[in-house]
Amino acid sequence: MYKQLFSYPFLSKQPSKETYYNLNELIDYITSDEYIAITEEHTDKNIYKELIQCYKANLLFLKEHGLPHSKQEQFNTFNLNKLYSLDILSSNEAKTSSIFDKLSYLATSDENLVTCIDGDVFTTESINKKSSAGLQILDYMKVGKQRHTEYTKLIEKTGNFSNLTFGSSIYPNVFIFPNGSKSKYANKPVKITYENSKDDPILESNTNIVDVQYGTHVKLVEKVKTTAGQMNYVTYIVREGSTLEIDRDTTDAGGWSVFDSRFICHPNSIIKINCSNTGSQYTQENFYFKCSSGVKLELNGRNNVRKGNEYYSFVRVRSADNDNTSNIDVKNIGNEHSKTSWIGRFEVSPTSTGFDGTMDNDNLMLSSTAKMNTRPILDIYTKEIQCTHGCTISNVDKNQLYYLQSKGFDKATATSMLVESFLC
Amino acid sequence: MLKLKNYKVSEVLENINIDFEKGKKYIVMGSNGVGKSTLIHSIMGRPDLEVSGKLTLDGADLLDMPVDQRAKAGLFVAFQTPTAIPGLSNFQMMKQALDLKGSELGVKLAEYKDNAKALKLPDGWDKRNVNYDASGGEKKKSELIHLKMLDNKVAMLDEPDSGLDVDGIKSLITTLNNWHNEENTLIVVTHYEKLIEGINPDAVLVLKKDDVIVGDKTLADTIFSKGFDSV
Repeated sequence: MYKQLFSYPFLSKQPSKETYYNLNELIDYITSDEYIAITEEHTDKNIYKELIQCYKANLLFLKEHGLPHSKQEQFNTFNLNKLYSLDILSSNEAKTSSIFDKLSYLATSDENLVTCIDGDVFTTESINKKSSAGLQILDYMKVGKQRHTEYTKLIEKTGNFSNLTFGSSIYPNVFIFPNGSKSKYANKPVKITYENSKDDPILESNTNIVDVQYGTHVKLVEKVKTTAGQMNYVTYIVREGSTLEIDRDTTDAGGWSVFDSRFICHPNSIIKINCSNTGSQYTQENFYFKCSSGVKLELNGRNNVRKGNEYYSFVRVRSADNDNTSNIDVKNIGNEHSKTSWIGRFEVSPTSTGFDGTMDNDNLMLSSTAKMNTRPILDIYTKEIQCTHGCTISNVDKNQLYYLQSKGFDKATATSMLVESFLC
Repeated sequence: MLKLKNYKVSEVLENINIDFEKGKKYIVMGSNGVGKSTLIHSIMGRPDLEVSGKLTLDGADLLDMPVDQRAKAGLFVAFQTPTAIPGLSNFQMMKQALDLKGSELGVKLAEYKDNAKALKLPDGWDKRNVNYDASGGEKKKSELIHLKMLDNKVAMLDEPDSGLDVDGIKSLITTLNNWHNEENTLIVVTHYEKLIEGINPDAVLVLKKDDVIVGDKTLADTIFSKGFDSV
């Protein structure tokens, strides 16, 4: 992360790998008077004045509010103490491979591949070919001043982890899918991998903005692989009449992650998300949707949280205007000693008539040592809506298990079949 | 073949002694709540039922076997109310049960579809979820496909006629008679006269709490005319 932080004089003070270091210490570091003073210094010099000002305002916000805490509704069933006690310098990755080895597959592939590592973006050649209908990736070196100002305004002070993520990855990368691309990136999806490098220090952060422009259909296949700590904050802008599909798979690779996804949904946009997660020593995946009018939103989560892993999720849908549809369907499986928590919130404003929402969270506990929480919240300020919710936590159904065993399946196979069928 | 000696199930049944022989067909009758379903499921090994006495299949002790091993040993039970499993398709279950691979898969899928068609199940039944969004009759027919395709020595059917229409009853009788041969044993719990006629059992068993009355088909006729108290 420190390569992103421009306060070069501080680099000499960064902790060595032998030093224990946690998120509280990180926030102390980036909100220190000394660090902020250097930020101000850069404000005068840097051509990205508005970004630096935004960054500084973000640091001051962090200094005032600190890290999220369990008294906040969205985190109060999360194991934040565990997160804050993690050593953010620890890594599960073999130290033999270089970043070039890791990215070598990009050189030979003709797929639309993007890899994000600690704020840097690496792509296959096909994406780099410039055309008016092609995906434009603007990193901090390329972004024009006018656009820069426009996108910087989108970074909000939220009180969740996105401020800390932005605080440790100053230069957001912007992915623009222009109008002319039509369904090009639905037919040939863009595969985005979020990885850790093996550089020291280990915690890595990405702040990205994805702009799906008017009347465009885009599919993203996201892979999140964390061999150490990783914090991602992605803002997806889905413009009028456009469709964004996301298939996200987060697999335990020995690290931990916090992923905040924020969606700004313009009128008549369609958002379809399928995500799966195995959990990790600590995984947090939050979705924030801000819906204008006529938005169709579908979120399906299928999370098989492995033995001893933790997975926490918060979903908030804010419906501002009329005729929005929102279907949330999240299923979690808790294996031995795993912990999961899901909190879902619909906020329907007085002007949001015709809102049609369903919110389901089903949890299957495979072990008495698993701990699972679920909490649906409906905050509705208008009468002219349809809204349902259903949240369950159950064990493997003994009748189903017996039925399958009576057909000759042993207990382990029958249980595995029931897990698969539950996640369907 | 299947022997029960001094057999007791929880507080429901006791002192049950039955010898189900190979190549024979049996009808089990009994008043409501006497324990007919309990008997069948205890033989299958349902875990919540406490059983004592002796239970053997071809001389092998079944009591220490878990449910799946009893199934592999040759026992089959068709449920009175088959359990729904959303998310698991009918043929996927069959595929895994028979451990089908390669060309065998296509052959068995065709066989599965033929069986479904013969039982007048809707098109695409193989892709439908197990006993989910299905009528009572459809569930019963689905159990008959399992009976035909899984390799069993002893089939125990718990009121297979309930929920079936007239054509369904005919298909049931045909299926059971076609399945039965000199090497296997058919046990059907039912009080439906036409089904008993159609099966033409070798023996009729009337289950009481602590006894089993054995007779031929005329025993069923007596019960139909005079009731259970008459025997």
